[in-house]
Amino acid sequence: MNAADYVILFGTMLAIAAYAVWSTRGKHDLRAYLKGAEGTGWLTIGLSVMATQASAITFLSTPGQGYESGLGFVQNYFGAPIALIIIAAVFLPIYRRLRVYTAYEYLGHRFDPKTRLLGAGFFLLQRGLGAGLTIYAPAIVLSTVMGWRLDATIVCSGLLVVLYTVAGGCDAVSLTQKYQIGVIFAGMLAAFVVLLARLPAGLTFKDSLALAGGFHRMNAVDFSLNADRRYTFWTGTLGGMFLALSYFGTDQSQVQRYLSGTSLRESRLGLMFNAIFKIPMQFLILLLGVLIFVFYQFELPPVVFNRAAWDYQAAHGSGPRLRALESEFASAHGEERRQLGAWLEARHSGNPAAEAAARAAAEAAQARGESVRAEAAKALRAANPRTANDSDYVFIRFILDHLPHGLIGLLVTAFFAAALSSKSGELNALGSTTTIDIYRHLVRREATDAHYVAASKWFTALWGLVAIGFALFANLAENLIQAVNILGSVFYGVVLGLFLVAFFLRRIGGTAVFWAALAAQAVVFALYATLPISYLWYNVIGCGACMAFSVILQLAIGPGARKAAK
Amino acid sequence: MTPPPDDERTGLPGLRSWGRVYWVVIGVFAAWVALLTILTRAFS
Repeated sequence: MNAADYVILFGTMLAIAAYAVWSTRGKHDLRAYLKGAEGTGWLTIGLSVMATQASAITFLSTPGQGYESGLGFVQNYFGAPIALIIIAAVFLPIYRRLRVYTAYEYLGHRFDPKTRLLGAGFFLLQRGLGAGLTIYAPAIVLSTVMGWRLDATIVCSGLLVVLYTVAGGCDAVSLTQKYQIGVIFAGMLAAFVVLLARLPAGLTFKDSLALAGGFHRMNAVDFSLNADRRYTFWTGTLGGMFLALSYFGTDQSQVQRYLSGTSLRESRLGLMFNAIFKIPMQFLILLLGVLIFVFYQFELPPVVFNRAAWDYQAAHGSGPRLRALESEFASAHGEERRQLGAWLEARHSGNPAAEAAARAAAEAAQARGESVRAEAAKALRAANPRTANDSDYVFIRFILDHLPHGLIGLLVTAFFAAALSSKSGELNALGSTTTIDIYRHLVRREATDAHYVAASKWFTALWGLVAIGFALFANLAENLIQAVNILGSVFYGVVLGLFLVAFFLRRIGGTAVFWAALAAQAVVFALYATLPISYLWYNVIGCGACMAFSVILQLAIGPGARKAAK
Repeated sequence: MTPPPDDERTGLPGLRSWGRVYWVVIGVFAAWVALLTILTRAFS
């Protein structure tokens, strides 16, 4: 990065944060601070919901997923449109009618205080851990490739988001997210255009897709019923629907976004905006990764994309071994490129036999290169376990090596914008839930709005510091985007079960659902430790177990312990 | 005829009820799955 890139990065991030603080100054009314005085329009809600979900991990890690595994990850989002419709039709009108600040307040209305606390507790535990991950994940990738100190990157980006979220509350979050997502879209579009322009001459877009398909990168939809496969149409639609239903419908970081709507109509339209655009957005990000894969079939990529780790190990005793791997990799890549040239020529001259032969030879050479890459990545991870999965470095490495200055600054700004936008939504929700469901409910029931606003600011700051502290000690082995989804899936199913019992099983009372939720969570933990199935199924299992246990327990304890449904 | 309450109005041309909006969203979802399936079949 040069001076122009740094000016773009710091200028944009600080300007957005300063504008948010300035435009939301002097808000002492609790409703305005936590729900933005319910004056937000549908487009802002839609973009805000999108920005809260799409963290820096989405934009850093998803192209890497596309590069390594192709388009299949898009199926993860197939359940989202159906889930968002259910939320708009069922959840949202109830939340708005009861005028709740948090989703867990509704559990208190419907069941009892202990169930409300359980729902809030699950959220605080899961989201509190996740909040550390959303700071840590982009920080480790960006600090490694930029040569910045990891702890300084975590602390500086963490403190900036804490500052404007504490100062401006819900309005500041929505306002900054709107501008941040604009920066993100501009950056991703620029990367797409540059990538298309840099594909080799003579290689059409259709050729690129055919080439990617030859290397199994174009399998977007898989209808197989094989339970071992992580992403299929069924896991995505069914498991993904439960995940999305739980995330968008019961996670306060999302509920808070659409409860700020001027009316039910604005909130619903904001959700429908996401129901329509979520799948194409994720598809385009994955396609970007697939096209980077095509680009690197003609341009020699680094053996591993985490070049800082490579350079460090090369300078500390592993030099001869890594140089041998590099030479072997270059030889395999040279052979692959030669065969791909022959494939392209045969394809354009209409010779299917020669096309198939060249493609098979290219695949063999590519497999040889991949085994060298895997060996190198394993050696680097053994030397330093605190290294993110190499696929997380693919996109940022491409940007730094192949984009012009100015655009590098824009893309790095986009990553930070994404990190801050999701982080601010999470902190805002953690602060609100702690204030409304814990502090106001258990500690101080009667106080002025100014007192609760001050408490909310303190709790938001405290959660920010917890997230920064967690990020400073985190350590990851999974691809980042998957790590976030796995963490969510372990808790979300049971939380969703609590809400579905509340909405649809009117005869179940608080005591039954409370113990059922705890038992279901224990089942999910036990299965997670023992069963090798797609993590998306834990959303279905957790939810189903919570609902089934609730019915059984209610039958066992009888109708006397039930509280009338509202 | 009694007009629907404010919250029940979609404000979208041609889509006067929320039920119709939801069906359109499901249609868009089905179209995306169909397109992605075609893409998979064409290039795999």
